[in-house]
Amino acid sequence: MKSRNYLALLLLAGAALTQTVSAQQYEAFHLAGLNLAERVCATCHGPNGKGNPIVGGPRLADIEPWYLRNQLIGFRSEFRGTQKDYIPGYEMQDSVARMSDAEIEEVVAYISSWSASPNAPTITGNTNRGSELYVSCAACHGIEGQGNEALAAPGLTEKDDWYLFRQLNLFKSGYRGSHPEDQWGQQMRASVGVLETSQDINDVLAYINTLGS
Amino acid sequence: MNKRVTRRELLTLLAATGTSATVLNASAALGMIPDTRLNLPEIPRADPANRPSVVILGAGISGLTAAYELDKAGYDCVVLEANSRAGGRCYTVRSGDVIDEVGNPQVCEFDDEPHMYFNAGPARIPSSHRNLMHYCKELGVELEIFINENKETYFQDDAMFGGKPVKNNILTTNARGFMAEIMAKSFTTAELDESFSEYEAEALMSAVRSFGDLNDDDLYTGSFRAGYKAGGFIDHGVQKEVVAFKELLKTRFLNMALSQNEGETGPVLFQPVGGMDMIVKGFERALPDKIYYDILVTSVQLNGDGVDVQYEHNGMKYAISADYCFNCIPTHLMTGIPNNFPSEYVQAMQYVKRGEAYKSAFQAKRRFWEDDDIYGGITWTNQPIRQIWYPPHGVHKAKGVILSAYDFGGGMHFTRLSQEERLETAIKQGEKVHPDYRQLTEKGITIAWHRMNHMLGCAARWSSSFGGMTEEEERMYHTLQAPAGGRHYTIGDQISMHTAWQESAILSAFWAINDMVERRGGTGRMPGQQVV
Repeated sequence: MKSRNYLALLLLAGAALTQTVSAQQYEAFHLAGLNLAERVCATCHGPNGKGNPIVGGPRLADIEPWYLRNQLIGFRSEFRGTQKDYIPGYEMQDSVARMSDAEIEEVVAYISSWSASPNAPTITGNTNRGSELYVSCAACHGIEGQGNEALAAPGLTEKDDWYLFRQLNLFKSGYRGSHPEDQWGQQMRASVGVLETSQDINDVLAYINTLGS
Repeated sequence: MNKRVTRRELLTLLAATGTSATVLNASAALGMIPDTRLNLPEIPRADPANRPSVVILGAGISGLTAAYELDKAGYDCVVLEANSRAGGRCYTVRSGDVIDEVGNPQVCEFDDEPHMYFNAGPARIPSSHRNLMHYCKELGVELEIFINENKETYFQDDAMFGGKPVKNNILTTNARGFMAEIMAKSFTTAELDESFSEYEAEALMSAVRSFGDLNDDDLYTGSFRAGYKAGGFIDHGVQKEVVAFKELLKTRFLNMALSQNEGETGPVLFQPVGGMDMIVKGFERALPDKIYYDILVTSVQLNGDGVDVQYEHNGMKYAISADYCFNCIPTHLMTGIPNNFPSEYVQAMQYVKRGEAYKSAFQAKRRFWEDDDIYGGITWTNQPIRQIWYPPHGVHKAKGVILSAYDFGGGMHFTRLSQEERLETAIKQGEKVHPDYRQLTEKGITIAWHRMNHMLGCAARWSSSFGGMTEEEERMYHTLQAPAGGRHYTIGDQISMHTAWQESAILSAFWAINDMVERRGGTGRMPGQQVV
């Protein structure tokens, strides 16, 4: 069933190209039952979603299904991955460009089964200052960084600090949170102003690294 | 002064007149430094009752080499490959093949004929790559000549001749003529006599005259080497006009023009008949039931006296333990797979940069280049496509596959474009060389190695500059070359100082095998010859 869905996806993807794709050609591709997440997502995000900063693939293990779904839709709607000189972002756009809602649900369900031990922190900062700065973040993301689905505020503790660092900067520079359809992103873009300098960002991330353990 | 020049004096002289590279090459010619030789690893035959086990991750050229040699020596080998095909970047695209680019899958729609293929990865085998040549012979891979430089191809630079393409023979003949004239003028007889004997000076000057086809007054006045303007067979040949040397200096192609037929891309080059992956197929024939495809490696753990590997296939999870692991998974992907490698080993993996090379190809509706005396070879342009390659095979057949872009440096220009933009860009730029290019080409395919599934990169780059490896880079290189836990070898051209060549992949596998043999107690062979 899963591989048939992938076939449908590939057929959709192929139809948008100048070439048309025959079923036999995909048989020749013999997918051997691997599903989409295993075949494509794992290449960048690692086989269990542990993430791989070397290729710009953030950790997906233990991610909230609703947040993952929102981001996949965001990449499909092209309000994520907007920084054109950043390859992984538009790789993600292209990867989900022709996915149907049902296929997104399939990927979300599969990736939600991924779990991994936390990655080592990569950012150092002043956690005391960070805890003060975090007060305004806590309103949405929770005192323990546990997140709040009702506010579309994701949990922060299972996400890589290098990824959070990048996202905060994308919100600050307007690559993220500027699109009219991205209402939750707009909310975050409005809030990120409290972090004025990269030292602020480092400090708050250093504090977030102490949460949830 | 017919004094014999000693070897040291000659080297000093060359060092004074040339670069250190001149000295190095001259040293090799004089037999002072070893050349690379066929150096198959000598592996003591495994005890059939106690066969050492080896799990090989990745069926690229290095993985296949390791599997082939170790299997032959009686080791218990399996190869786990992520893709549905073996070969890694040794990849030939033919009719019906799906190009598995992340976010941009393509189907190749070339005519289904043996000569209608595209070597999307390596496409040239230098005759000096004798270990690869050895495997071609051993695996029954039929070879044919590959043509790199063809004097009938073009150089096109928007800055030169108003952007009009100029034939290679015109560019190189005139460039050599003018350069020889400068060389001939730059030494007085007295200066030459100071450094050389009369005989040597004459040899040098006659070579310079011949290099540029100078006239009796040591002047360049044109040459038939650029081809005839008219006649030349039944009628007297008419020489083409001399071009203005300054026009040739408007391009940066002179260095390419004069060096593309030298060194590793110099003659003689080969290609396997029917596609580069004939080498892969040869290995696959020799390793029946040893290679498993569509494998997702999920964990690689050192366990003290071996390696534990976990993987998934067809929705099922598996675990395999082996005495040794030979791993040619690209380092930038291995960092995303759970492992317990030492931190400095992981740091080295994280350091290696991903190559960005890009290639594309068209099916030509007819072999239009043959109307222009072109049979094989490369056209160079200053546009992002950089090169157009004409197939050296399939001469005079109806159609052919033409390489329409090869960005071997920063291939991200094309990688960033959509499939439609990539093909349109290749057509527009190709039209500057061949005006009817759009009408003559169809069914384009593109290979952005940076985004190919299971690889996400072309040849690894160790050095952050052209100045070669820094001390730190070299330290990391040796860290990653040495076996982690004494049992896990990272292999592939990524563990070589000469990435992007299949020969390097083979030699990296040899290095790992030799190291393993040594750690197992050596070959048991005594130095020297046995006296009976």
